[in-house]
Amino acid sequence: MIDPPALDIADLGKRYPTGVEALRGVSLQIAAGEFCGLLGPNGAGKSTLIHCSTGLAQPTTGSIRIFGHDAVEHYGEARQAVGLAPQDLNLDWFLSVEETLDFHGGYFGMARRDRRERTAELLEIFSLTEKRDERTRTLSGGMKRRLILARALMHRPRLLILDEPTAGVDIELRLELWHYVRQINQEGTTILLTTHYLEEAEQLCDKIAFINDGRIVAQGSSEDLARRYGVANLEDAYLELVGRKELSRSHLTDLAPT
Amino acid sequence: MSPAQIRLTTLWRREVSRFLKIKRQTIGAPLLETFLYISVFGAALGSRIDQLHGIDYVVFVIPGLIMMSWATNAFANNSSSILQQKFQGAIQDQLSSPASPLELLLAFSLGGFTRGMLVSLLTLTAGALLVDLPIEHVGVLVPALFIVGFFFSQLGVLVGVRAEQFDDVAFAQTFVLQPLIFLGGVFYSAALLPEPFQTLTHFNPVYYMINLVRYGFLGFSEANIALSLGFLSIATAALFAFNWRLFRNGYKLRA
Repeated sequence: MIDPPALDIADLGKRYPTGVEALRGVSLQIAAGEFCGLLGPNGAGKSTLIHCSTGLAQPTTGSIRIFGHDAVEHYGEARQAVGLAPQDLNLDWFLSVEETLDFHGGYFGMARRDRRERTAELLEIFSLTEKRDERTRTLSGGMKRRLILARALMHRPRLLILDEPTAGVDIELRLELWHYVRQINQEGTTILLTTHYLEEAEQLCDKIAFINDGRIVAQGSSEDLARRYGVANLEDAYLELVGRKELSRSHLTDLAPT
Repeated sequence: MSPAQIRLTTLWRREVSRFLKIKRQTIGAPLLETFLYISVFGAALGSRIDQLHGIDYVVFVIPGLIMMSWATNAFANNSSSILQQKFQGAIQDQLSSPASPLELLLAFSLGGFTRGMLVSLLTLTAGALLVDLPIEHVGVLVPALFIVGFFFSQLGVLVGVRAEQFDDVAFAQTFVLQPLIFLGGVFYSAALLPEPFQTLTHFNPVYYMINLVRYGFLGFSEANIALSLGFLSIATAALFAFNWRLFRNGYKLRA
């Protein structure tokens, strides 16, 4: 029997009550074990797609299946399989670092002993053990980012969704996070990553999907996309997509005074 | 415990943990407020009013204060907690979990219910130390207090979910809840009011709540006990059903 895709989005549409149509018939499939990057300009629909996949937004049309479970009809099984590290640092101010992980585990039905062991393990991995009793609001930005990733991994999700995980973090932490997500992907966790850092997507992702104006406009490997747009690299392919090829580095180099 | 039970108890623990971490504000302040009410209305004003329906004024007032503690704390806890979590975005961690709408609603409700119960029990203890407070009908008192706590928990959830700014919660608290409670007869007997205020009081659900709790403690009520219990149970169930529908639809919780 063939394993169902980790994420199977078919003809997904989302219109907000304000009338904004954020998604217009998005179809995207991510195979189990894949590392997929979702790239697009601000307002293209990346976060809406993620919110629809995790129950934070309700799709207007179409379907989302996570490891074969419909994200609306069988939301319990679907959400159990997903870990979300959102773009915003949405930590609970009233909780300590340790409680953040413990409570998250509880929200996902983990037994107390398992929560305790998993919390200790993640605190160690993310160098947060010494901060375990501190309230989340006292942490630095980098520490908050680590904790958000640790929280997303707490219930051992099979699909990890990272919404701009390295936005605003220093180079050291960025490389650390890259190393860790690459490792968990190699251990079998499927990853969907949105980022504005094209280098990040190129380094980490097996597959990249371009989203623009609520539609998936192209997908494939970094090389496939460059070939499709007849350009040298992913960055130029991206600039073609958003209609700003005049910003291409090769173009700018040609224009530079000699 | 099953995963559903773990989810529910964790969601509830989060609510309790929040109010215990700011206990000066969530437990201390309401207790002081109640103590001041007892001092002013009981000791100061009570020396002039003496008795109401053959009951010492301070004893007449305390059951209403116990009810008021449960009601206001249940409401304040749930409305503030939900709005704060929406503001921080922290509620997303709960909304993206496998917890069902019913589990989420029950946990939020029970958070405020627990805080209300705690403050009420402390108020009861303080009241019992200050005056000789009888408990005449425990079989009415306990369900009455539970209904009051659950009703105002639901009201707090409703306001918290609907609120978009802290002003929305403050408005409901100041312009709806406080007048309903104060005009429901916590500090006086509705029978003393002139018309049309006496009749108008009968349209205030808090009037029936106060009478039920007063009957439980003192054996005195101006309203029919069975009808009051029935009416309030139906109102509480209707409010719960309404909230459950909001949670199922993701109203102002899920985009």
